[in-house]
Amino acid sequence: MFRRSLAGALAAGMAAAALLTGCGGGGDDATDGPVTLKVLTWEPGGTEYWKQVKTSFEAGHPNIKLEMQSVPFDKYPEVQGPYITSQSGPDVMANNAGLELFDRRGAYVPLGDKAAEITKDLVTYSGACEGFDTSKTCYGVPFSYQGNVLYYNKAVLTAAGLDPEKPPATWDEFGAACDAVKKAGKTCLALGLSGTFPAYWDFPEIARNYLTEDDIRALLAGKLSWKDPKLVAVLEKLAEITTKGWANKNAPSITMLPDGADIFQRGDAAFAGTIISDAVNWEAFGKALGDDKLGVTRWPAIDPAAPLAQKFSGIEGAVYGVTQWSQKKQAGLEFITWLAGKENGELWVKYGKGQPLNKNVDKALLPSSPAFLKIQELVAQPTLHAGVMLSGPEADALARGWQQVTLGQLTVDKWAEQMQQALERSPTKKQTK
Amino acid sequence: MTISTAPEPVAADAPPAPRRRRAHRPGQAREWWLGAALVLPALVLVVLFKLVPLVRGVLTSFEASSGFGGSEFAGADNYTRMLDDPMVRTSFRNALLVVATLPVWIVIPLVLALLIHQRSPGWKFFRAVYFVPYTIAPIVVGIMFRQILAPDGPLNALLRGVGLQPLAIEWLNGRYSALFSLVAVALWSFFGLGVMTYLAGLATIPEETLEAAYLDGAGFWRRLFSVVVPMLRPTVAYWSVLCASGVLIWLFPLIYALTQGGPGDATMLPEYLVFLTTFQFLDRGYGSAIGIALFVFVAVLSIFSVRHMFTEGTRKPR
Amino acid sequence: MNARHSARIGRYLLTFALVVVAVAAIYPLLFTVVSSVKTQAGFADDPLGLPAGITLDNYLEAFRRMNMPRLLLNSLITTVGGLVLSVLAALLVAYAVTKLRFRGGKIVFLLIIVSLTIPSQAIIYPLYQTVLDLGMSGEYQGLILAYAAFGLPLGTYQLAGYFQQVPDELIEAARVDGAGHLTILFRLLAPIATPALAALAIFNFVWMWNDLLLPLVIMGGSDSKTLMVGVSLLSGQYDVSVPLVSAGLIVALLPVLIIYLVFQRQLVSGALAGSGK
Repeated sequence: MFRRSLAGALAAGMAAAALLTGCGGGGDDATDGPVTLKVLTWEPGGTEYWKQVKTSFEAGHPNIKLEMQSVPFDKYPEVQGPYITSQSGPDVMANNAGLELFDRRGAYVPLGDKAAEITKDLVTYSGACEGFDTSKTCYGVPFSYQGNVLYYNKAVLTAAGLDPEKPPATWDEFGAACDAVKKAGKTCLALGLSGTFPAYWDFPEIARNYLTEDDIRALLAGKLSWKDPKLVAVLEKLAEITTKGWANKNAPSITMLPDGADIFQRGDAAFAGTIISDAVNWEAFGKALGDDKLGVTRWPAIDPAAPLAQKFSGIEGAVYGVTQWSQKKQAGLEFITWLAGKENGELWVKYGKGQPLNKNVDKALLPSSPAFLKIQELVAQPTLHAGVMLSGPEADALARGWQQVTLGQLTVDKWAEQMQQALERSPTKKQTK
Repeated sequence: MTISTAPEPVAADAPPAPRRRRAHRPGQAREWWLGAALVLPALVLVVLFKLVPLVRGVLTSFEASSGFGGSEFAGADNYTRMLDDPMVRTSFRNALLVVATLPVWIVIPLVLALLIHQRSPGWKFFRAVYFVPYTIAPIVVGIMFRQILAPDGPLNALLRGVGLQPLAIEWLNGRYSALFSLVAVALWSFFGLGVMTYLAGLATIPEETLEAAYLDGAGFWRRLFSVVVPMLRPTVAYWSVLCASGVLIWLFPLIYALTQGGPGDATMLPEYLVFLTTFQFLDRGYGSAIGIALFVFVAVLSIFSVRHMFTEGTRKPR
Repeated sequence: MNARHSARIGRYLLTFALVVVAVAAIYPLLFTVVSSVKTQAGFADDPLGLPAGITLDNYLEAFRRMNMPRLLLNSLITTVGGLVLSVLAALLVAYAVTKLRFRGGKIVFLLIIVSLTIPSQAIIYPLYQTVLDLGMSGEYQGLILAYAAFGLPLGTYQLAGYFQQVPDELIEAARVDGAGHLTILFRLLAPIATPALAALAIFNFVWMWNDLLLPLVIMGGSDSKTLMVGVSLLSGQYDVSVPLVSAGLIVALLPVLIIYLVFQRQLVSGALAGSGK
């Protein structure tokens, strides 16, 4: 509280100076002419796509101009954080669906009953809503779909004496395939354990074998203990990936992007678990390896009979919402409504090279790559994505623990203990309890 | 230049300057106002961009907050929590290890500067080239060294090639090797700045003095410490202060680009932990508390260099 | 073996050592240049090797994606502004503290150099908030002032050290000749401190030019963002193209190298003039 009063005093003291130097910003809602909407984004889908967004939107909305504030993804929190605490800044902002968005929900205007209307053509938008429940408060709209599949290099599989049309479907088959690939002198699974990639890319694929959707919601609410046998089993299997030597040796000290993905791109690895939309997907790998050499499969099932084992851990991509402090909420709402629409869905497919959420996107625009078609098949049976349920401290502890387990510096039990401590440290999850 | 009779900048050689007091009160008052006017811009800068944020940081460190939402007064909770947080302890232990490498930071550029200063063939080339790493942005340094230091990377290939097999370790994977590899990369980034600084200092020492020192038959190291270092004292001091105050800060972008504090917590430093806690864990109060602890840590370590800086700047040459 | 002979061998060994260090030093630049002419797939294939073929596409792409002239201008304004302001403020303080009878000067000096011990990361969050409260977010002056504040303590220390060694008689003499304070500071003291000023210029220019954190939050993603922020924008959330970023960095590096070459000469020649030869 006293922090705020200090801020007030400071602001007051500086108001004169600001007036003199003419640097005081302010809402210009009242002025005539087009409204300028400031949009904070890390440009998911790339610069080209966002240029198209600006051009197309402005063409259809002559009364609104977009001013894109593009910030590199890995520096986004530093820029966004102060905006939120000071309740000032852009009119529209982005956050990843799931916990990242919920952590910052104080910044966004709830869509209320408008949500259903805005999102009527989207396959799903629950990641933008509290607890992944569309009947609860929703804070913005997504337009892309994201998740992890296992890409494989058919040439490497063939060289290892494996059938490139029948990739391993179970954990044991995967182990056998890895032994064969290693014998042929290649890395089996290209992996980088630095940063949050393990949490968002690998954890949900293992977790699907042990958790139900209710468990995943409990994970989100912080009600599922990391000492629960189910979660300990997930950690054990994650550990196996590296301790059994399936991954590259430097996995603990590299990031998945670009290092891990590059191992796969240069043909040195049989498998890589990466995403379906945006970069390092079927499109980039198809270009590097040849569309005919690139295979796609679901991560191998540990327990094929588990309820979610044959599903796709899907999550909406970036969610765009209107900020609480915006003076131009109406224009902001118009913009995010357009983002959810067909026109943007088609731009997303064409320039963002991703999976669209809008049902009405012209099917003729979709790529014909065999890998892409296979992905269409896999995403048809979605389930909740366990990775985005992890809080910042949990995602961090997952990566660090996995690195240490790989290097033999930590046991899985100790890892689970650290995960539990991270959960208890997480401000968000403490709050929901 | 109109003034060509500039004095010898080495304090010890300056003629004793008898201080005269002009007890002229109005003049003194005018000088005071002038002095106040001159220091005003700097004071405003320091207060606005350093002191005010520091005070706000202290205030925030007594708050509990979550998800960038509201916050409430939490007393000393954040500080007591720090005491039994193993990550915090590790980060400060790592910081101490990094600070312990400072002598290397001070000596290596000095030796290189001396070698260059002896006018080795192509010294101008070396002088220019050594500075290059400092100009390369950390983002590239990080990507490059992840490749170079990989277990099967070129550094280990080179070591194995010249028969130093046992030295070809997993640089970035080890409990301690990761931290020291990171320090080595940082040192590599900054040594050129040190060489440049020392060369500037060496240029102020009369040629004959150095010549005599090089020729009098004493060994290189003895010459170094008995003749050159004392004369270079101000430069050595400046570079030491720069390193002492900078080393932890310089490591930050490299940690960001190279290891993100890992594997495990092997390269976790307080700087990075502040950043992680504030922006990734959304725990502003706790992040601020760690930041304040870091400030105290740096302040305690810097007592000597600040004292030195203060006396250098205020002592009258006698 | 005579002494001359062994001296020559010693010299060879010494040169060899210097060459080894030089190779290690120049390698990153070569790596960046070589990476910048590789294709994305070519880099993934062999990150450290020589490219199979040379492509300039990354440069074209970097120019296409970034508004290069504007970004260059932004970086120049903020870096030069920060540099000049911090050195100027440091010069004034150094003069006031060392050459004026100014009570309280020591306290001010102490305050300024003690602020060196406040690591930017420790106060990063409140710093950003303060800039927002000052209404300087997205404005050149916000970044210029922040740069100046962070460059100030070392500059003040170094210049004060230099000025301290100038005997007071010299100042008195100039004053008797009718020189005012500003003349003394800028025509007498500053030239003596040329090496220090050159070193400060190089050091500050490089870190301000390459800095990411301060410009990011102070400028946000606005059109006033600096070139380095633009370069780091070349890699996206999932799209980390080392060749593309390398191309951007090579372009961003040129002004730094120019500044270095210009001030390096000052550094040495100024020092020689200062030593009274």
